[in-house]
Amino acid sequence: MRLSHRLAYLVIALPPLAIVVWLFFIPFLSSAYLSLLREDQWSLRNYYLVWRLYRYDILYTLWIAFFSLVAVLAIAVLLCGYLRIHINKPVEFLFKIPLFIPFVVVGHAMRVLLAPRGTLNAALSQIGLVNMNDPPSIAFGWIGIAVCLIWKNLALAVLLVLGSYRSVDETFLEAARNFGASAFQQIKDILLPMSKASLAVAGAFMFTSMLASFSVPLMIGSGEPPQMVMIDVFYRINYQMDYGTANALGVVSYLLAMGVAGYYLRTITQKGT
Amino acid sequence: MMRRTMRMAGVVIAGMVIFLPLSSLVIWSFAEKWYWPHLFPQQTGLFYWAKVMQGDLLRALTDGFLIAIVVTVLTLIITIPLAYVLARLPVPFKPLILMVFLLPQAFPQLPVFVNSTTLLYQVNLGGKLGGVVLIHMVGALVFAVWTMTAVFKSVPEALEEAAINLGASRFKAFHSVSLPLATPGIIASTLLVFLYSLDEFTGTLLVGSPFVLTLPVYMYRTSVGYELQVASISALMLMLPGIVLLVLLERYMKSEYLSMFGRI
Repeated sequence: MRLSHRLAYLVIALPPLAIVVWLFFIPFLSSAYLSLLREDQWSLRNYYLVWRLYRYDILYTLWIAFFSLVAVLAIAVLLCGYLRIHINKPVEFLFKIPLFIPFVVVGHAMRVLLAPRGTLNAALSQIGLVNMNDPPSIAFGWIGIAVCLIWKNLALAVLLVLGSYRSVDETFLEAARNFGASAFQQIKDILLPMSKASLAVAGAFMFTSMLASFSVPLMIGSGEPPQMVMIDVFYRINYQMDYGTANALGVVSYLLAMGVAGYYLRTITQKGT
Repeated sequence: MMRRTMRMAGVVIAGMVIFLPLSSLVIWSFAEKWYWPHLFPQQTGLFYWAKVMQGDLLRALTDGFLIAIVVTVLTLIITIPLAYVLARLPVPFKPLILMVFLLPQAFPQLPVFVNSTTLLYQVNLGGKLGGVVLIHMVGALVFAVWTMTAVFKSVPEALEEAAINLGASRFKAFHSVSLPLATPGIIASTLLVFLYSLDEFTGTLLVGSPFVLTLPVYMYRTSVGYELQVASISALMLMLPGIVLLVLLERYMKSEYLSMFGRI
């Protein structure tokens, strides 16, 4: 391979690489650098502040991500099992729709739906289940955020899990049916075990993206603690101009993301699948 | 008979799950006077649609489209050669390069973009169209490199080799054989990048506002006020390109591309 050719390929790679390195990798690394600076001096005070101010928010964020992930996977496993065994093309198409609706729109739509005086409560009050003078507030709590994340990620999960189920040979399912297995048993004993690797990868990805969600809690959050971690970073920069602490919180979020991804990758490679 | 009703029930339930949240948006965009506890607006009309057409929304809409077009064109130009080369030829440091285009999706974007904004302001691109285009390209390039490399990999190498055996240069083989065959995939990638840029929120909020607004950021700003009608109309407009894409291009959209949409 001539040197001039190899150089040419490198030159072709340069523009995209340059943009991503300049506007993602350098800022990413400078988070670590900035998190250790406070008033132009090396200091660990930023991390101390993160612990003091935001440790509950970190747990809150992890909880929402965990809850939403479990819900999405549970629904997807069962729903895709149904779609794999009894084919239902319209339902499949319907569940692809949230893929094309941006997170911000989902946030706003759910806010209008689930707000204390929103459309859901208004509808329920017609049947008498809700008293409009003292309505329950779903929207601005963790459940509202979780509903958004579940609704939007369900589309992605259905896509990935159904793809994985479809790669399972029909003969396995036929054999099970010959022995009298119900649809639920087919899902539980054949489809699910054979899709473990895909589920782990999809799950790891969705968990980190839920951890990092910003537009949804911005639209649907209450503005009061506890908050999701990305909102804390945003407010810290916007209102306090405190780059040190904000970046320290950012570094913590990177570590959480790496930790989750690493854990799942290790689980897959250990099983040798 | 039982199977039939179960299927219909499934469709109805799925329809409700998907459309219920969105239906509130539709109702709100036509509401003129709506106080709780009424289930539907007391007065509906096109008042807010007219108001919106005269206001800032149109500017945000056109800016957003302009930025999306520029982002898409630039991304296409610089990604197609790279994708072909990554798919076929020995590039120095290939695993490292592929990692570079993988990691931005693995880490939370907001803290990174906070620092990117500082960098852009340092070169006087903050709060300008160019800065927003660049921040969009960070994410767009990641999608584009992934999908287009896969597209070129799926073009059978044997066809290119046949062309080369018949005397074509590498470049001619690329543009007369591989490129036409890769076109459906490239179209899908292009639309993915376009929609990504149209819907991008975090980077635009940090880099662009308050000077350069795209529709998502405009929608956010109007939704924190009390005129939910304007926000709902913006939200509906934001949904349209996505739905149009979904309906028109179901046949181009293989699962790999569709799963990219889930990250918008």
